[in-house]
Amino acid sequence: MAVTEILLLVASFLLLLAIGVPIAVSIGLSTALTLMVSIPAMPALTTIAQRMATGLDSFALLAIPFFILSGQLMNRGGIARRLVDFAKVLVGSLPGGLAFVNIIACMFFGAISGSAAAAASAIGGFMTPRMEKEGYDKGFGAAVNLTSATIGLVIPPSNILIVYSLASGGVSIAALFLAGYVPGIILGVGLMMVSGAIAFKRRYKTGEWVGIKAGARKLLDAIPSLFLLVIVIGGIVAGFFTATEASAIAVLYTIVLTFIYKELKVAELPSVLLDTVKTTAIIMLLIGTSMGMSWVMAYENIPQEVSNFLVTLSDNPIVILLIINLILLFVGVFMDMTPAVLIFTPIFLPVVTALGMDPIHFGIVMVLNLCIGLCTPPVGSVLFVGCSVAGVSLQKVLKPLIPLFAVMILVLMLVTYIPELSLWLPGVFDL
Amino acid sequence: MKNKIDKILEKILVLLMAIMVLNVLWQVASRFLLNSPSGFTDELAGFLLIWVGLIGSGYATGQGLHMAIDILPKSLEGARFLWVMRFIHFSVALFALLVMIIGGSNLVYVTLELEQLSSALQLPMGYVYLAVPLSGILMIYYSIYYLIFTESNGSN
Repeated sequence: MAVTEILLLVASFLLLLAIGVPIAVSIGLSTALTLMVSIPAMPALTTIAQRMATGLDSFALLAIPFFILSGQLMNRGGIARRLVDFAKVLVGSLPGGLAFVNIIACMFFGAISGSAAAAASAIGGFMTPRMEKEGYDKGFGAAVNLTSATIGLVIPPSNILIVYSLASGGVSIAALFLAGYVPGIILGVGLMMVSGAIAFKRRYKTGEWVGIKAGARKLLDAIPSLFLLVIVIGGIVAGFFTATEASAIAVLYTIVLTFIYKELKVAELPSVLLDTVKTTAIIMLLIGTSMGMSWVMAYENIPQEVSNFLVTLSDNPIVILLIINLILLFVGVFMDMTPAVLIFTPIFLPVVTALGMDPIHFGIVMVLNLCIGLCTPPVGSVLFVGCSVAGVSLQKVLKPLIPLFAVMILVLMLVTYIPELSLWLPGVFDL
Repeated sequence: MKNKIDKILEKILVLLMAIMVLNVLWQVASRFLLNSPSGFTDELAGFLLIWVGLIGSGYATGQGLHMAIDILPKSLEGARFLWVMRFIHFSVALFALLVMIIGGSNLVYVTLELEQLSSALQLPMGYVYLAVPLSGILMIYYSIYYLIFTESNGSN
């Protein structure tokens, strides 16, 4: 009976997770226990080990450590500061200017580095003291910073979209990357509107316009950093190179740039590489064990059961999409993004494609949805990074987060029900 | 002992990571500059990722880096805290033993037995998969280290 296995899998996973066992180990151990109930122990354990190893044996996945590495380099190498200065020229003199600066800088930095946690810590590190100086509430500043840091996951290049491409059985990475632009920008504008309104109501100071001359200089300063986006996305979309090759070029480009800026010494490279290995290893163990769990779920026929169950609830696509979104929001609260994408894509993708949804569109909806979970306790990795970089307690951030969550959910609904928002841009490029 | 192992692992991992970057840059360069796409880089990249990912996971266990929900352990004190910490380290060791060492060793054994070779480098795949049991050994070592550490340091 599949029901027993589903219950065992879910119950043992949640129990281990709640006790405080590392997430990757909780996934791997609950998967092993479940499979050992169905088939003899030796083949069960060997199969999971095999899924872990073959799951990582992927050229596409290699883009993840490389984008992490270029993000780490940017973090140390003054690129974050140049992006903040550039954003300040663009929006710094509007009411709530610093909040806008934070959001725009996060969008650029998150896009370039492909990591929400890196964006939250790099941009947050710059913005926190500036916001404090101008009288911004610390909790509010941190909330703006960490929600806008997630936008970089939707705007390309994005590691999580690469993971989705893998989980969905090879949806084009170039198409997914292009599909993320419009939803990402809408989310950015939405967050700006709400944080602008709050800043206006609280009468926060507006920054001064730096003047044309200084503004132009800051703009020129930021161009080499922004040009990276042109190389990476342009190269992938034009088909010059794969996402992985683009990510390696991004590494080379940022290394050269940080040396030119004289903000990194050769002797510091090993420690940057080690930091990258640490982050990579954490994600890779999650990917490996999630691949195992996803395989066991398929073996136990769970995607089919879930699909049958969803169809009994309603035959209205709008309702089914709403249910899937609610389930993913719930999942996102308890699970990190990478395993959530790897485990739930094979379950939900067949359901939504049967409803006529484009897999590219679903990828964007899923990532946008799980972004919200990154900012919620208890597993929100970006939430913790955002709080710690701002030096503010979780309790102080939660209340200012509420209106920003409302925006994220509103944008999620828009993107879910208006496929053109995701599909228009890839369509323009015939992808 | 732990410090020594940490240091050795750090050196190996940094080296592998650097090779990974150079390998893919070479792939791009060979295609665009030399006009003769290199045949092995693609495959080597995947193998390196397995090794960095898994050996790195072992190392990350020693550094206590793997993400977890720590609400329960943080809310406890004294004997209860100790029991939860014991359970966590025990779970990591159990996972490493069952899946990575037992399952992984069998995987290595079966693939070597079948003489499965990689397509470009003609490398026995069993050696590539050796990263799984090796990572398992590291995880067990570190979780036992922490178990002993927990016992001797009490609830601090």
